[in-house]
Amino acid sequence: MSEKSYPKKSSAPMTIGMIIVGAALMYGGMYMSSNVTLGFQESLNEQGILLDLGKTIAVIGVFLILFKVLDLFFFNPLHVAIDTRTDDLERTFGEAESLRAEMTQMKSEYEKRLADTEADARAQIQAQIKEAQDLKKSLMADAQRQADDYKQTAIAEIDAEKKKVMTELRVEVTKLSLQATEKILGANVDSDRNRKLIDEFLTSVEAKN
Amino acid sequence: MLPFALGLAAIGCGIGLGLIGFAAMNGMARQPEAIGKLQTPMLIALAFVELVFLLTVFVGAGSFKP
Amino acid sequence: MQDLVLNAQWFLAEATTHAAEAGGEHGGGHGGHATLSFMGLMIYTFAIAGLIMILMAFAKKGLKDRVFKGRLLQYFEQLHGFVENLCVGIIGGHGRKYMPMIYTLWLMIFVSNLVALAFPSSPTADLSFNLGIALLAIGYVQWEGMKANGVFGHWKHFAGPKLPIALIPITLMIFVIELISEVMKNVSLSLRLFGNIDGGHQAATAMNELGKESNLFLVKYLPFGAFLMPIKMLTCVVQALIFCLLFCVYLSLVTHHDHDDHADHAHGEEGGANAHPATT
Repeated sequence: MSEKSYPKKSSAPMTIGMIIVGAALMYGGMYMSSNVTLGFQESLNEQGILLDLGKTIAVIGVFLILFKVLDLFFFNPLHVAIDTRTDDLERTFGEAESLRAEMTQMKSEYEKRLADTEADARAQIQAQIKEAQDLKKSLMADAQRQADDYKQTAIAEIDAEKKKVMTELRVEVTKLSLQATEKILGANVDSDRNRKLIDEFLTSVEAKN
Repeated sequence: MLPFALGLAAIGCGIGLGLIGFAAMNGMARQPEAIGKLQTPMLIALAFVELVFLLTVFVGAGSFKP
Repeated sequence: MQDLVLNAQWFLAEATTHAAEAGGEHGGGHGGHATLSFMGLMIYTFAIAGLIMILMAFAKKGLKDRVFKGRLLQYFEQLHGFVENLCVGIIGGHGRKYMPMIYTLWLMIFVSNLVALAFPSSPTADLSFNLGIALLAIGYVQWEGMKANGVFGHWKHFAGPKLPIALIPITLMIFVIELISEVMKNVSLSLRLFGNIDGGHQAATAMNELGKESNLFLVKYLPFGAFLMPIKMLTCVVQALIFCLLFCVYLSLVTHHDHDDHADHAHGEEGGANAHPATT
């Protein structure tokens, strides 16, 4: 507000002095108007320009008084009132502005909290889903492993059974071959050498299979 | 003779005022946001041109000897 | 009888009520237009000042309110803003100092001009009155110039730019010319106002003569001069404005170049919304 420096009320002596000077000028003007006529006034009057210096001086006096009186009477109060009102309005606006800023801040805080909560919930859901998926994966892996185990066992059993059957089969085939050979030859060929021959043959057959 | 002379003065004054008004209007039309700035100098210029005419009427015509 | 008719016609031409308090006026005078006697001028001036003060007294009632409700006070506030724009726009930030003076001058001149519309004479239609306010204005400008630049600095300002010592005659000539121009400022301020207001009167009187030759009663007494009323009303405002404007310009010429160039910018946009006032 420093810029709005309205002229401060001039000191009382100044005001009174101006009013006295004004009154004196008015009186002097009145005297001059009726008694004194300067030379150039005459010539001006002849030209049709009616100039009365007494009136001029009196008018100066009147205005000196008027400036002071009107300033004290109206202009200063008006200016003070306008300034006060402006200050008042500015203060009200400032208050409203600060309230608004506060509200904005609260709103942003609330929004932030809301967003935080949402993010939290989402993270939890994600975690749950992940956990469930992990569980599922591990369960599936377990089942797979078990199935594999069963399969392995079964294969091993089958293999063992097969081996056993093959061995029996071989023995049986050897016996049958020997009996057939005995019948054909009529003699006992149950010798180690023959048995060995058949074995070799069987081995070659197995290798082909 | 006097009315004729006054008429001449009025012609001059009219031309002067018209030029000022013309220029100011031109400027305002081209730049409407400058109206506030243009108005004061325009008024001052108008006042000075008018003053010449008033001087003619009151001083010149007053001292005119037919 | 003829005089009475002429007077009535003249009053009509001024669109008008009868001037009851215009007792001080001594009609006739020189060249047909009336001039006021000393007492007549004083009566007019004090009547106008009294009118303004009565309006102010009415307006003052609403001054304590939080919002100005009175219509009259709102007008005064508008005028206050207008004068403030004028001062701050032309003189600069320190222009508020001169506001009471310019406000007073504006009100007195404007109301006097309005009075000149309706009454046979008026303060501003009197050259002596106008010379008085012009002398006051220019004298105040000199006073402010001396206060701002120092007494010697102010007089030096008249002597124009600094020239070499050999050119002293030119400096002297510039000094004399500047002095004459200062005097002419008085003459121009007063003569402009006087010419416009009194010229309006004379034009109305001259136009009233138009129907003189007619035989028709209606045409013979028709106040042709009253048709000048709109342009005279415009003149009222413009002349009051120009007086205050030029006063501000003269004040700014003697005071502006020292301290506050930065102060005007703060108020640069204030005048933008308003129609009249100037912003720099």
